Amino acid sequence: MAITEEHFKKIVDKLVSLKDTSELMIDLAYSSLLLNSRSLAEEVEALENHMDDLHTDFELLVLSSGFKPEESKDFLGLIRLGVVTEEIADAAMEIADVVLRGLDPHPILKLVIEEAEETVTRVTVSETSPLVGKKIREAQLQEETGMWVLVIRRGTWWLRPRPDTVIKAGDVLIAAGYADGEADLENLASGESKPTEEDE
Amino acid sequence: MAESGKIEYRPISVREALTEMKDVSEIMIDLAYSAALFNSHELAEEVLELEKRVDYLAYMIDMNTMLAARDAEDAEHLIAVTTVAAATNKISDAAADIASIVLKEIGIHPIVRKAFEQVEERLARAIVKPNSFLVKKKLGDLELAAKIGVDVIAIRRQREWTIDPSEEERIVEGDVLIARGAPHGIDELKALAEGKIKELE
Repeated sequence: MAITEEHFKKIVDKLVSLKDTSELMIDLAYSSLLLNSRSLAEEVEALENHMDDLHTDFELLVLSSGFKPEESKDFLGLIRLGVVTEEIADAAMEIADVVLRGLDPHPILKLVIEEAEETVTRVTVSETSPLVGKKIREAQLQEETGMWVLVIRRGTWWLRPRPDTVIKAGDVLIAAGYADGEADLENLASGESKPTEEDE
Repeated sequence: MAESGKIEYRPISVREALTEMKDVSEIMIDLAYSAALFNSHELAEEVLELEKRVDYLAYMIDMNTMLAARDAEDAEHLIAVTTVAAATNKISDAAADIASIVLKEIGIHPIVRKAFEQVEERLARAIVKPNSFLVKKKLGDLELAAKIGVDVIAIRRQREWTIDPSEEERIVEGDVLIARGAPHGIDELKALAEGKIKELE
């Protein structure tokens, strides 16, 4: 039985989900540490459970693709890639566990996360921010600031941002990106400067 | 795996060492996926080189935190630091595992690699054309992270790789840039490298 393109596409989609989820978990785990936020650490835990399901689905897809014996090495490579995403997710969970176990997040950790090249930050959207009422897609935060929103806190809820999620005043955005974009994001959220045209 | 050298204690700043470890481990993950995506043995070997650096840092952090703890209370304060350092080390081990998949010729099915390349929006490879705006520009002057949300994590010049290039690095024609960042910015960088866009806004 030949492997269909469609089957490959499914395998790749699952692998991309595994990769994206594991990387989101790392960013959220560092965020939970930075903010000493138990509820954010619990998000990481929920994603860890989701990862387990995804990983099983992925492995079943790979194993059921009906590959020929001479192709088994290629497919072993895929299985191993899946295992690696799981290792990354485990590492993220260990970081979040520091918060869940109520360990004292040493001040050094906060400094490390803030000083790293790729940082995570938290901003609160003010009433006067140009972001209010905009969908994530329209807000073009990545283009404007180089930072992407990992998760939104609205009241006591954590929302995973979707392209059509509408930003509201009072939302707390947890974002990751290169440290250079942090000030731009803060300006946008606080509404103290216009989003464009201040770069040169 | 490379030979393991003897580890000797050196007084270091745990904060600086852990910051470097975090930066390097994240770059390693991106480089490792790039190595798998673009089937590059050289890039995979660079990942293993970085792994040695992270291992060294991990030992130094452990030794320095051990010495910093004088009593049970100190130990309780410091355990979070060593836990996070260990997790960061684990992330770099995972990156090294990806590199090993590439180096040991286990391989990834070519069709999968192709499909993966299409959907992976955070990593890109761009070849700098002679007419590109980027030619002769210093990375630091381009401010790619601030302007388009993209970070150049490695440059290949003929056979030579520069990992995590400095701000002083000047781009030349023919350079192969490995970059990570926001999808929109990645597209912009590719267009810049190909000479389709002539300036950075």
